[in-house]
Amino acid sequence: MIKKAHTIVWMVIFMLVLAGCSEKTTEKGSTEKGDEKITLTFMHLWPAGSSKQHNMIVNEIIKEFEEQNPNVKVKQEILENEQYKNKLKVLGASNELPDIGMTWAAGFLEPYAKGGLFAPLDDLLDGGLRNNFVSGTTEPYALDGKTYALPLELNITPIYYNKGIFEKYNLEAPKTYEEFKRVVQVLVDNGVAPIALGNKDRWTGSMWYMYLADRIGGADTLKNAINGSGTFEDPSLVQAAEEIQQLVKMKAFIKGFNGLSNDEAKAEFTNEKAAMYLMGTWDLPQFTTNEDVPKEFREKVGFFKFPTVEGGKGNIDSWVGGPGVGLFVSENSKHKEEAKQFVKFFVEKWGERSVTRAGVIPATKVNTENVDLPQMYIDVLNELANASNITLFADVQMNPEAAQTHLNLIQSLFGESITPEQFAKQHQEVLSSTR
Amino acid sequence: MDKVMSDKRVIALYVLPALLLIVILVYIPIIMTGYYSLMKWDGIGERTFIALDNYRQLLKDNMFWKSVYHSFLLAVFSVFSLGGYLVVSLILAGKVKGANILRKIYLIPMLLSSVAIAQLWLRIYHPSNGMLNQLLSFLGVEDTPNWLADPSIVLYSVFIPIIWQYAGFYILIYYAALKNIPSSIIEAAIIDGANPWQLAYKIKLPLIAGVIKVTVVLAVVGSLKYFDLIYVMTGGGPDGASEVIASYMYQKAFRSFNFGYGSAIAFSLLILCIAATWLIRKLTHTEEEVQY
Amino acid sequence: MKRTIIYAKKAGMFLFYMVLFAVAGLQILPLIWLLFFSLKNNHEVFNTPLFSLPSPPRWENYVKVWVEGDIGRYFFNSLWITTVSVVFTVLLASFVTFAITRMNWKLKHVVLGLFMVGLMIPIHSTLIPLFNFFMKVKLIDHPMSIVLTNIGFNLPITIMILLGFYNALPRELEESAIMDGCSVHRMFFQVILPMTSPVIVTTTIINMIYNWNEFVFVNTFINSDEYKTLTVGIQNFIGQYTTDWGAIGATLMISVLPVLILFFFLSNKIMEGITAGAIKG
Repeated sequence: MIKKAHTIVWMVIFMLVLAGCSEKTTEKGSTEKGDEKITLTFMHLWPAGSSKQHNMIVNEIIKEFEEQNPNVKVKQEILENEQYKNKLKVLGASNELPDIGMTWAAGFLEPYAKGGLFAPLDDLLDGGLRNNFVSGTTEPYALDGKTYALPLELNITPIYYNKGIFEKYNLEAPKTYEEFKRVVQVLVDNGVAPIALGNKDRWTGSMWYMYLADRIGGADTLKNAINGSGTFEDPSLVQAAEEIQQLVKMKAFIKGFNGLSNDEAKAEFTNEKAAMYLMGTWDLPQFTTNEDVPKEFREKVGFFKFPTVEGGKGNIDSWVGGPGVGLFVSENSKHKEEAKQFVKFFVEKWGERSVTRAGVIPATKVNTENVDLPQMYIDVLNELANASNITLFADVQMNPEAAQTHLNLIQSLFGESITPEQFAKQHQEVLSSTR
Repeated sequence: MDKVMSDKRVIALYVLPALLLIVILVYIPIIMTGYYSLMKWDGIGERTFIALDNYRQLLKDNMFWKSVYHSFLLAVFSVFSLGGYLVVSLILAGKVKGANILRKIYLIPMLLSSVAIAQLWLRIYHPSNGMLNQLLSFLGVEDTPNWLADPSIVLYSVFIPIIWQYAGFYILIYYAALKNIPSSIIEAAIIDGANPWQLAYKIKLPLIAGVIKVTVVLAVVGSLKYFDLIYVMTGGGPDGASEVIASYMYQKAFRSFNFGYGSAIAFSLLILCIAATWLIRKLTHTEEEVQY
Repeated sequence: MKRTIIYAKKAGMFLFYMVLFAVAGLQILPLIWLLFFSLKNNHEVFNTPLFSLPSPPRWENYVKVWVEGDIGRYFFNSLWITTVSVVFTVLLASFVTFAITRMNWKLKHVVLGLFMVGLMIPIHSTLIPLFNFFMKVKLIDHPMSIVLTNIGFNLPITIMILLGFYNALPRELEESAIMDGCSVHRMFFQVILPMTSPVIVTTTIINMIYNWNEFVFVNTFINSDEYKTLTVGIQNFIGQYTTDWGAIGATLMISVLPVLILFFFLSNKIMEGITAGAIKG
């Protein structure tokens, strides 16, 4: 009885191991053919399950590229956000980056660029592509005069609000910060959570801080503090931190915000339990076309620009935002030229379709005349055209170590466990020591 | 007998394959981690040798010590919860109807992946719609706690799902150990007039002492090394209030791109685990079994 | 007087069983929750109470997961990788534990220590070195890398659990077998293994759970879709800015069912099979 069981077990194992080994060998055997067939590996973070339209467009573009270049095949590897970042790092450490991949700007890009892992793409820009991009969107991907990636998305961050709730309490979209605080107070007095914020992820709170820093100190103060030509202990930056804590004391944010994820906060807004939500334009589909979100709610959503602070140096057309992911080419790719061609092709085709099909605003210029878009998109695109400044997210601007500290400090600030002065001082310390 | 049991070829045959695997797959990374910990490295570009600087910084790093403290707390909680699991297992291994089914049901949380458990408990702890706070409001509590946002309680809030996740695991082991006790011994004891308490305390427990010791080591090392639910539920926050060693290491290595420092943290964790195991062994010294 | 004692005892027993089953009920609730969760869409996931029935139940989540998420393939991969890993881990661990507890050799404590240290390294710090290693032996994007790391990293805990049990085994049976002229190998397979069947089942279950839910290594070492496992398949539903929670629930449900079935219905049969064989042999 035992012997029989034994033999069966060993046979099964043997078969399985064989199956595992043979699969790999047959795959290897079939790729090499006659003429120069090359395979480009393309890693991205738009899975079919969650980003259906993005994924569809990617597949279309790949198909078109393969048709135009019959000797090239593009193989995709798709991961979600967090895992993508982790894997990219492991691959980078072993010098095994895919031929083409996605990257974020500034602080994220820096180690890869400095390590010589990304190929400069200025030849693509100089070859005519530069004019396609909205001005200022490729700079965050440049280091020492060379551009290392080309952006695919451009986002700004308005304050979305529930027009229904505002009407109920006779409120209007505020233009100044004083008006804004009054709106908050009215809502609090009436038992409605004014702002949906999920600060477990920390970058969400960072946006609130950045706007206050901009409105009080002007667009350059924060930027200079980060790049070292200014200081983080500038009084306007400290004051911005104070204002944040004032908002917290006023109970402007939903209950338990420091432990809620962004998704959970968004749910409060969608569920009409909170009146306002500061978030990027990547969420526009949620409030316009997404059928899963109740239509009744979608029709009530509008947006306004972050209000101005009296006596402050920032103006209302200055935005927090910037380009999102961009495409890079691996410097060690065996097929650099073809990879670059693919990137050029992709950026062009993507720009034509992304806004109408996926609701994503590309970094290339969009012609709003002949497109059929929901009104909010048109409004956003108009705002974009009139923007006086777009400040890149702080945690993207900074180097990775400083960015982590910044995010942690944001959580402490919102959690009232440090003072505004300590907030500024610790920023200054980490920025100078990691420069 | 002795000669048969000392046959070197047999020993080699039985031990080498596993040993080889471990040396290659586990020890090489350990050594590399130690190596990286002596470097200043962002994980991608050049490495610069800085000897023990990372460790010097580690000694001064408040956040690191805070995370060590948190991991240590988790270890203490886990060991205490072992007592509870023992009691449950003793009960189940006795003459309880439906013990078989119950034992399997208790194991269910272990089958779920950390993602599922995290999602479930996030919904239980939600500050306004969560099951817990809704129950409390219903009972009249005014300002319901912010389970995951309040730095003073977040650590304990996360401990509960962690301990709950592993209950089935330890119950499974204890149950198997108890069932392994020859029934002749138990019957003899009952005939001699032992009541359930004496049976458990003086007969069963000593007979499974070896297994209990193993679980203590597993619980302590597992707690020191723990990562999953902390990462998914709180990310170590707010403000490091629920940071543990493994999550801090992850943050430094993969987010701050300070891989040298992260490796130093990982290596320190290893040393800590070895020290803890040695301590446990010293405290529970017995002669008969193979020492570990 | 005696009557009251008997009643008290019965009441106590009743209460006792109530508590036991209540706790068991609590353990089942997560499964029920997961089932409901997998049938909701994003909006319902966040805005309806934990145990509310979705209306209508969105079975399309399951369809979506099977079609768009390519779950069939991931399922098969998870299945065979887990099976092979578990079999080899338990086997190799049994060999080692047997050698350490029964055979005489000087280095046994050292070797045991070596295995135990393997328990103490956090997984994330092994990623880069292991990736480099597998790159060099051309096992990147090959399922063998996962099988090997599964075995390597689960050996310590398996050995430790087995150790406790092996130590408690009576030695008379072995001694008499050796007296009868039995070789070490025969004794191992025909005496020791059957005697340890309870702990073998236990460690099999534990290994199965760990390997089935393994995630970090698959994510790092495997690139192609054809070798990915269920755990990584969940990623298909996490987007850059939004997440499809209902689909994730469906994937989790599909992922948990086989483990449940195997565990609940089969573990008894497996144990009976092995012990029956032992008695006969």
